[in-house]
Amino acid sequence: MRDRIEAALKSSRADYTEIRIEQRDATTVAFRGRNLEEASAVVDTGGIVRSLCRNNGWGVVTFNSLDGLTARVEQAYQCARAAHSEQPIALAPVPAAQEQISASLDAKHDFRGISMADKKALAESYNKIMLTFSDRIVDTQTHYGDSFTRLTFASSDGTFIEEERPMVSMVASAIARDGDNVQSAHETRSGQRGFDFVQGCEQLARTAAQRAVDLLGAETVAGGQYPVVIDPVLAGVFIHEAFGHLSESDFVYENPKAKEMMVLGRRFGQDHLTVFDDGSIPGLRGTHRYDDEGTPTRRNDLIKNGILVGRLHSRETAAKMGEPLTGNARAINYRHPPIVRMTNTAIQPGTTSFEEMIQGIKLGIYAIDAYGGQTALENFSFSSGYAHMIRDGKIAEMVKDVILAGNLFTTLLNIDAIGSDFRWINHAGGCGKGGQFPLPVAFGAPHVRIQDVVIGGK
Amino acid sequence: MDILKLLQAKAEQAEVVQLRSEATTIEFEANRFKTSKVEETSGIAARVVCNGRLGFFASSDEKALDRLLTNVLESASFGDQVPIAFPLPQAAPQVKTYDPAIPDLTVARLVEIGQEIVDLIMAVEPAAQVNVRLNRGVQEIKIQNQAGVEASFRRSPLSIGAEVDRIEGDDVLILYDMLGTTAWDKDYMAFARRLVDKLKLARTLTTVRSGKMPVLFSPTGSLVLGLPLMEGLNGKNVFTGVSPIRDKVGEKLFDDKVTVIDDATLDGKFSSAPYDDEGVPHRRTVLVEHGVLKGFLYDLKTAAQSGVESTGNGTRGLFNPPSPEPTNLILAGGTTPLAEMIAGIDEGLLVEDILGLGQGNIISGAFSNPLSLAFKIEKGEIVGRVKDLSIAGNVYDLLKQVTAVSRETLWVYGGLCMPYVLLPEMNIVAKG
Repeated sequence: MRDRIEAALKSSRADYTEIRIEQRDATTVAFRGRNLEEASAVVDTGGIVRSLCRNNGWGVVTFNSLDGLTARVEQAYQCARAAHSEQPIALAPVPAAQEQISASLDAKHDFRGISMADKKALAESYNKIMLTFSDRIVDTQTHYGDSFTRLTFASSDGTFIEEERPMVSMVASAIARDGDNVQSAHETRSGQRGFDFVQGCEQLARTAAQRAVDLLGAETVAGGQYPVVIDPVLAGVFIHEAFGHLSESDFVYENPKAKEMMVLGRRFGQDHLTVFDDGSIPGLRGTHRYDDEGTPTRRNDLIKNGILVGRLHSRETAAKMGEPLTGNARAINYRHPPIVRMTNTAIQPGTTSFEEMIQGIKLGIYAIDAYGGQTALENFSFSSGYAHMIRDGKIAEMVKDVILAGNLFTTLLNIDAIGSDFRWINHAGGCGKGGQFPLPVAFGAPHVRIQDVVIGGK
Repeated sequence: MDILKLLQAKAEQAEVVQLRSEATTIEFEANRFKTSKVEETSGIAARVVCNGRLGFFASSDEKALDRLLTNVLESASFGDQVPIAFPLPQAAPQVKTYDPAIPDLTVARLVEIGQEIVDLIMAVEPAAQVNVRLNRGVQEIKIQNQAGVEASFRRSPLSIGAEVDRIEGDDVLILYDMLGTTAWDKDYMAFARRLVDKLKLARTLTTVRSGKMPVLFSPTGSLVLGLPLMEGLNGKNVFTGVSPIRDKVGEKLFDDKVTVIDDATLDGKFSSAPYDDEGVPHRRTVLVEHGVLKGFLYDLKTAAQSGVESTGNGTRGLFNPPSPEPTNLILAGGTTPLAEMIAGIDEGLLVEDILGLGQGNIISGAFSNPLSLAFKIEKGEIVGRVKDLSIAGNVYDLLKQVTAVSRETLWVYGGLCMPYVLLPEMNIVAKG
């Protein structure tokens, strides 16, 4: 295969060419209520060729049959030639890498060696915990997934990387019903790890079931502006949506007005706020040695002591903006070219304890866990899994449907306390952008307090 | 090698689905034609019923067919016991889903269309950045089963989408709209003209008070009401008992003005096809008629579990087994002209686009969303764009009383046909 890839690259008439070949084996076991919905394995094999003609643009060809690579390279060149970019496109130089990166799964826990029967039994045991938790649990979704990708990336700049990427995940969702009142809760766990990573998660299933039942008794939150304390999970989603997407430079690099708005040195938060993205931390979901353009990953500070100090780049955006490479060009699979994405994004811990954080709040909200979030850059939304009112400095009754609205220029500045209880969150699912979903990412944060958050409600 | 025959020899029932598609994409980034892409996709998926148990396997590697046989049978050995029966051959409606004019669109012609869209928008908003994505393709789908179904059809999807980013100081406005069709649409610029109208209206910024007021949802905005309904009408959620309307067929749940239809048999629409992805002929399914719940959407499996017939809503990607999903979903238009609806509002909100669609506990009907594009209506006129506000509610409460549904309807985001919907009162939370 290596010979064929290198020969195809050599034949290219483009200024730059890269080839990415993937072979992915994936297993799914899914329970829905009492029924086993799926116990199946799939095989996905394919590739992508991406070519750049400096004075024209990019050409991309994706395919399933790996025959005729040289013809694909020519086709990508023809595609690139057709485009007409206004200015020549440059790529920031990366040192040529020659690497073989194997998944460090120990043989005993490598999920490829675990039988479907064992995977089914594990998912079934969690499913049963939820189903038998309460007679008000009417439905469940328990999802076990693993995938093992063998990836080859080669470029005309001399890089040749072979990498194994494992991923295992478990999702437990419980749905509770009382008459017409239907409430759901979910818990997940995912990592580039072996089968043992999702064993022993009984507590996860119990937590989901307990919360779904508890939510039946929760009132819908009254809409308004509140001081809000968010837990590390929601704080992680918050920083990803509120700020992370703004620091992806593909939004900025061709847009002079966006550059003005996102000028380095601008204040976005108070002195205590430091935000970074780091794709090189071992053990996290968004971690790889190299990004999908062959650039080594590393820590990149985005906000330091409240001031914008950096942003995330691909080779093209880094060259265009004259800024250093960050290793953030990522693709979900061979059907897509890499685009600028986050890896593991975090708020650096501060010094405030949780007790201090809620102490002074007369009427506020403690919002916990996340359903998700979406950004339109200046404005964003992030939704909690559940929440409690804070009354006179104490955690009070549970409330539901707490969805927070934010504005980039006010919400970050309104963070007035950052906790010391930092943790990383590795949830299943991932981030979506430009039709590429789900990309594995991790979030990290401590508890955070934000003043004047808009919460929709009755 | 005839896969179906091989599977039939080992199982009571067998189904083989083959998919082949080619697509060309042209992308304009920051007003310039930057990337062109060619995609070739092929794959095969199989399901068997073996000893009454259902198994599934899929592969995009045509050389892995031996594994397909082994894996689908292994999957069945663990599978669920479902009384599913793959269908007998049935006549399907004539539905036009292939228009040679679409594959005949040359790259040069696609680029010309993209440029036309960029030019139209730049003429009214010279400082904007426009990203346009034009995608045309040909899909061939073949569904076979042991009962004799040999359904194959071709589709020619065309989608043209445009995102406009307009930044002024710290004000960021992002608009998106698209055309999705399987038949060449001479009026392909209609969605771009709608974007221009919204851009013009959005020039004036104004504010709105927090509190209760009438809310008018545009066809794109009304998706926030439609999405929880789609969940509630999904046969899977009905069977599992989580749909709040699971046992209410025949009951009047909504205002007379609410009629919801699923229809994949319309010529040339984005989600149209003669058969669903399980070889069941498509049909027109009335889900809600004048406020009365008529039925739900089923695929073969959920229909078998529920003891009803599939409504032809089995939908699948190559790597997933089918599940019931809407095809072209239509919220029927009403009788009131839009202009009259706006003219009748003294103080209210026009919702064009929301953030975080689908977040939260939508199966319960609840939604709560910040608005990414909304306008204030004052004394019967749209007076400007409003920012930093949120709406929340539950569709099962809100749709009990609808002030008016517009005569005008629009196809949005491909397979959704929506009118303007005016609700008498909702709570608005505004920053300030």
